[in-house]
Amino acid sequence: MIRLRILPLLGILLGFLSSINLSAQSIKITGSVINKSNSSPIPGATVTLKNTSRFAITDAAGKFTIDASTGNTLVITIIGYQKREVVVNKSSSIEVALTENISQLEDVVVIGYGKAKRKDVTGAISSVSGDEIRKTQPVTFDQALQGKVPGLVAQQISGQPGGAVSVQVRGLSSFGGSSPMYVIDGIIIGSTATLGAGVNPLAGINPSEIESIDVLKDASATAIYGSQATNGVIVITTKRGQVAPPSITYDMYTGYQQIPKRLPVMNLREYATFINDRNTGLGWGFDTRPEFANPKYLGNGTDWQKELFRNAPMSNHTLTISGGDPRTQYLLSGSYFNQEGIALGSNFRRMSLRLNLDNKTTNWLKIGTSLQLVNIKENVNSTSSNVINTALSQTPDIAVKNEDGSWGGAYNPNGWVNSTVNPYAIALINKDEAKRNQLFGNLYAEIAFTKDLTLRNEATGSFSMATEDRFNPSYTFGLVKNNLNSGSYNSSQNSFTTLRNFLTYAHLFKNKYNVNVLLGHEAQLSTNESSSAGRSNFPSNNVQVISSGDPTTATNAGSKGQSAQESYFGRINFGLDDKYLFTANVRADGSSKFAADNRWVTTYSGAFAWKLNNEEFLKQVAAINELKLRLGYGLTNNQGIRDYAYTSTLATVATGLTGIAQLTQNVGNPYVQWEKTKYANIGLDGTLFSWRINFSVDFYNRKTDGLVLQIPLPLYSGTSIGYSPGSLDAPYVNVGTVNNKGFDFRISSTNIKSKHFTWKTDLTVSRNINEVLKLNTDGASLDKQYSKTVVGRSIGEFYGYVIDGGVFATREDFKTHALPTKNGVPLPVGAAGGSIWYGDLKFKDFNGDGVIDEHDQTFLGSPIPKYQLGVNNTFSYKNFDLNIFFAANVGNKVYNQLRINGEYPGTSYGYLRTLMDYAKLTLIDPKGSATDIDNIKVTNPETRIVGIRNDNTNDNNRNSDKFVESGTFLRCKNISLGYTLPESLVSKASIKYLRVYFNVSNAFIITNYKGMDPEIGSWDPLTAGVDGGYYPQPRVFTIGANIKLTK
Amino acid sequence: MDKIIVFLLMVMVMTGCSKSFLDRPPLSQISADNFYQSTGDLRLATAALYAGSPWADWNYNCFLPVGDVLSGNMAVGYWGDAVQLNTFTVTGLNGIMIANWKSMYKIIAHCNVTINAIQQKAPDSIAAKNKNAAIAEARFIRGFAYYNLAVQWGAVPIIEDNSKLIISPLINRIKTEDVYKFAINDLTFAAGHLPAADVAGRVTTWSAQGMLAKVYLTAAGLNRQGSRNQQFLDSAAKYAGSVCKNSGLTLSANYADLFKTQFNDNPESLFALQWAPGGSWLEGNMLQIYSTNAEISANGSAGWFGIGPTVDMYKLYATRDSIRRKATFMINGDYYPELNAAGGGFKFTGSCALKKHVIGTSKDNNAPTMTQTTSTEHNALLRLADVYLLYAEAKLGNNGSTSDADALLYFNKVRTRAGMLPAPKIDADSLLIERRIELAGEGQYWTDLVRLSYYNPARAISKLKGETRVTFTISGGILTPASPYGVITPPTIQSFTFPIPSSEVTANPKLQEPPVSYY
Repeated sequence: MIRLRILPLLGILLGFLSSINLSAQSIKITGSVINKSNSSPIPGATVTLKNTSRFAITDAAGKFTIDASTGNTLVITIIGYQKREVVVNKSSSIEVALTENISQLEDVVVIGYGKAKRKDVTGAISSVSGDEIRKTQPVTFDQALQGKVPGLVAQQISGQPGGAVSVQVRGLSSFGGSSPMYVIDGIIIGSTATLGAGVNPLAGINPSEIESIDVLKDASATAIYGSQATNGVIVITTKRGQVAPPSITYDMYTGYQQIPKRLPVMNLREYATFINDRNTGLGWGFDTRPEFANPKYLGNGTDWQKELFRNAPMSNHTLTISGGDPRTQYLLSGSYFNQEGIALGSNFRRMSLRLNLDNKTTNWLKIGTSLQLVNIKENVNSTSSNVINTALSQTPDIAVKNEDGSWGGAYNPNGWVNSTVNPYAIALINKDEAKRNQLFGNLYAEIAFTKDLTLRNEATGSFSMATEDRFNPSYTFGLVKNNLNSGSYNSSQNSFTTLRNFLTYAHLFKNKYNVNVLLGHEAQLSTNESSSAGRSNFPSNNVQVISSGDPTTATNAGSKGQSAQESYFGRINFGLDDKYLFTANVRADGSSKFAADNRWVTTYSGAFAWKLNNEEFLKQVAAINELKLRLGYGLTNNQGIRDYAYTSTLATVATGLTGIAQLTQNVGNPYVQWEKTKYANIGLDGTLFSWRINFSVDFYNRKTDGLVLQIPLPLYSGTSIGYSPGSLDAPYVNVGTVNNKGFDFRISSTNIKSKHFTWKTDLTVSRNINEVLKLNTDGASLDKQYSKTVVGRSIGEFYGYVIDGGVFATREDFKTHALPTKNGVPLPVGAAGGSIWYGDLKFKDFNGDGVIDEHDQTFLGSPIPKYQLGVNNTFSYKNFDLNIFFAANVGNKVYNQLRINGEYPGTSYGYLRTLMDYAKLTLIDPKGSATDIDNIKVTNPETRIVGIRNDNTNDNNRNSDKFVESGTFLRCKNISLGYTLPESLVSKASIKYLRVYFNVSNAFIITNYKGMDPEIGSWDPLTAGVDGGYYPQPRVFTIGANIKLTK
Repeated sequence: MDKIIVFLLMVMVMTGCSKSFLDRPPLSQISADNFYQSTGDLRLATAALYAGSPWADWNYNCFLPVGDVLSGNMAVGYWGDAVQLNTFTVTGLNGIMIANWKSMYKIIAHCNVTINAIQQKAPDSIAAKNKNAAIAEARFIRGFAYYNLAVQWGAVPIIEDNSKLIISPLINRIKTEDVYKFAINDLTFAAGHLPAADVAGRVTTWSAQGMLAKVYLTAAGLNRQGSRNQQFLDSAAKYAGSVCKNSGLTLSANYADLFKTQFNDNPESLFALQWAPGGSWLEGNMLQIYSTNAEISANGSAGWFGIGPTVDMYKLYATRDSIRRKATFMINGDYYPELNAAGGGFKFTGSCALKKHVIGTSKDNNAPTMTQTTSTEHNALLRLADVYLLYAEAKLGNNGSTSDADALLYFNKVRTRAGMLPAPKIDADSLLIERRIELAGEGQYWTDLVRLSYYNPARAISKLKGETRVTFTISGGILTPASPYGVITPPTIQSFTFPIPSSEVTANPKLQEPPVSYY
């Protein structure tokens, strides 16, 4: 009876409605269901009277009772066993033996608007199971994809709790970013409202609810999704109720996180010693600090990293109730996740509720829903206030708190002291709270006209409402003061709704020709609205609500946007003899993002797969269980450009002349078009040695033409890209071509399988070569602060000077080595300001023209990893299980921006310890002149740290290889050790399953990178790989339990 | 039966949405296709060209550093780019130089977009006179920008239609004389189509004629040795004379009032930037960054650049010239009742600092939303006294000196307003000094020196060489020169031309080719 109580009301009603039509003359059948291999009873199996809604479920002894007539068919199903059908004969007692599912033969993958058996798939699709994702305990599911899916590169954009991840499937195919399309239970996750720094738009999805993730990679797999799918599709399927007795599961974990590494910065004694060296003798000769007179009597001073970073707790609780009968299946899940950040001023809390419901209303109608409600509250102050960077640049002579309890800050009114704020205080007193409410919903109705022809209607929506509440109080940190407090409050709403209908016809003709046809229509509408308000001069820092601020300082802003897309699509799958599989896709998309003449575009693809193992010549080979060759080709289109790029718009601006005026914002381009990708893929899937080895390898080549580029024009165009007040926003033009080719490889192997011990290994390798083939003009480039993108190289490579050996160290250097120029004339050599001197860096004269100027810059490496690898080992011994997962990036570079200030004697920020190796000038004749070029040498000429001098005519901190470091790393992403309690033990407490585990995430990392964390993701491929005080990924220790109750 | 009904329903849905489903015009902003429909629209579009974000970077980074620091009127330390100006070591990476290049082209782009949109999109229902007047406003400002580029760089690219750069972005530089000619054409159109009077703050035909005089006078010396092009000098005299005699405008009685916000857009102001308070960084007038003290700043915190007069500048002021000196620079002991008036005025206790553009608190200016980076001062880029002096200079022409009555009349109007004795005659030197003092802190002296360098480079170089380009301290009336911010490289004729920004040369190597003709 518990079943009826749990059944949702809807299910009960629908169940009654359709169970009126019962046939007469039934007899009572009793039976039992057993395991074929060991004859043990199987409880919880569903026994359905075929073509009716009548069913029964086996009890603990595997027994069932059902009313049926002779000649009726009973269908017996349960997860983990193969389905069986039994015809009722005259006997009123039946015993059914079920066979366990062992092989992965019947694996099902999502192929877009449908599902297919893995063995019948023609495209490049990788899948990850929910169990596998949960093993790494990610806060958001995208964090878990790293190293799990070949061809997919995931890099964390911020290690802050719930922080964003950049995901690319098979390389960068757009300058505006190449995020894949996310579809969760049919709900396309369009742009969701997110406010706040470093926030992850996908954080609303609770990883513990995920059943599987399928990554559609090549054109033959993605084309059916049309214009949003060029960069791959990540299809997430959440768990649904099964035809099974109710089950209650409770998953929890709790633990804490710590910072894996701190940067070596100078302590107070070292700092004071250095300042003394800098300001006396051959140094600056001014700004002496009496308080540092005797460094040895000083303490360690403030270690700002120690102050800012903490061991932070996190915990997760998920309760799921699921079950169902053949008519209605349900899953109800609630979860609570809470994480403090390792940096002060950051935390993340998520509460979510999910209801998945499926109901077979009549024999021809099936309806259902996937519904998720999420509430997220985040503190993103540590990122928006940039406290990590500040902590690394604050000096150790500043106290966190003064003796009187006030905040510490710069105190010396005379020194050459930067007014760096107190990062600890800022992390605590600034407010930046981001909140989100999200609703993801899919409502479907599926009509079966005949056994083969079905029509599915779906209405889906993703709605999000976000707010960001900020307050910057007034403060006094010693001499650093903020006299004016200010607050702002922003809110935004996004909605992304889709209406889709599609017909599916599937039939097996003559047991030989397998035909599957899909035909559909889809309409999508995306809208967004936002408003913001700000005030300053609040009467007190404790009253932070926006209306308390000084009304005369009030500012507000708002925006609205909309875009729409309409599509028609079709697909034919044709299988011949279970040997040859053909797929053809076509889709027409119309988008409001383009001018009326350029709106519609057609995407198509075709694929062929050959199941070699079904050929006679391979059937004999026992070692091969499955072998399938796949070929695919297609043309896909992308509309990843901003709205209204086709026209110029004017915005209201303030002027002293008329109050307000209208200022043009951008240069519109009515001819802007879709980006077109030609995509070829060849792949081989195989299963060998009695399903012990399973592999998949794909080679691909995708060439994107007409790349929409916000065209970077010289400054004289008056246009710019990104923040540049007063410039016109540069036009979007179809000009570029980029090529991505590479391979991805996955192999899974069961190395050892004995009665008590198994060992499995999974390996993924992703290799992508990105090359820009064409830009707007010959010799054109996309220049960013640290990177330059040109034809013949990959997107966003670092660009700058190369240090030639070290510093100007001897008299000879000035005679032989090229000097930087001004207006084509080499700068003078000398000790005074405005000239080059000993201890300045020598830059390499690449073109050999005897001077250093902009022509001597070169490419310094790419932030894109050459390879991304993942290795997972799973061991199980009796009831113990151990999982160790490594992920690696190979061959990428990181721009360590923190070293610019931290290793430069001319600043007065906190210093890295490496600065102590600054170029040391000595007088050859101690009595001689310090400005005599013949009387000086540098004792450590190889150093790449400049000497002490109050002049930077040499522009020593210009972009150079000094700051570019290898980003290669091997990270132990996860170690988990679990123990499943014996069923005999737990069943006494009415528990079906109980596993406890201990888990370490980001256990250790092997890298040469000098910063905190070499994994630096970015949304913008042109500014990728720059470490400017990055929030590092924490090491996390957790303990947890999975508990399952039945009945 | 049920199935068939449902099926038909679905077929209807699947046949598609209405055609307008994909029409989604912008909701937040006006599309250019829907704007420019009335004279009022055109006036709203041109109003945006007078200040705001297109001008703010220039006003912050270039107005005084280029005009007054590079020329030696003032010096500012702890600002590497400005120190390069002070020491004549400007590189292709100099931020101030790049800001100047970028800003002028931003302004040009906005003018071009406005001019072209009016020509292409404004309906015939708007009177041709009104269309032309709006175009004339934009062409005046564009002419000003090209003039500025010609002065700083000489040969530069000329762009009239920015959308053409989408197809061919890499263009050549245009010869200096053609850049001047382009500016002259713009200003001539403006002079012919702007009204004689408009609301305060908008440019009039007198603004255009005054600028024309200045451009002709500058171009008169280009590529000449010793003497200037008489035809251009005559044109300069014609337009300046027209402003002097026909405009009906007169000098304000009080020099110091010109720089107070309550006299924004006074009749003497021919072209002033129309700043609004309360915007973001690089949207407003940021000249209060030179304010020395917290109590005379908008938000109660002092500026961050201590700029002050050089020894050279300070020594120019004669004892009698205290009116202009005090309105331009604060010297130890000066008292300004209008600054921090609520707090009893302000007494300057430092050695020396800039006074012009330092306007006091929000209360002093009755501007509650004014912030430190959004001063409400409408700083003038062309004013009547400037045109008076241009007139005198044009009349002086290639003569060693002049006692021309007209020239003396207007020259001495400027002097006597400042409490100086009228001069009996004018020569090139006295004119240059008069301009330097009258217009100090208004970004003019550098263009005067560039003008001189065209036809008399040796004299222009010697002017720079003779300067004491350091600021000073005063204690008990004793002036002590401050230590220099860097070693001053001896100026050469190259010092009068900015290098082209390095990034720009990298983006377009054609900029290194010899300039080509435009006409």
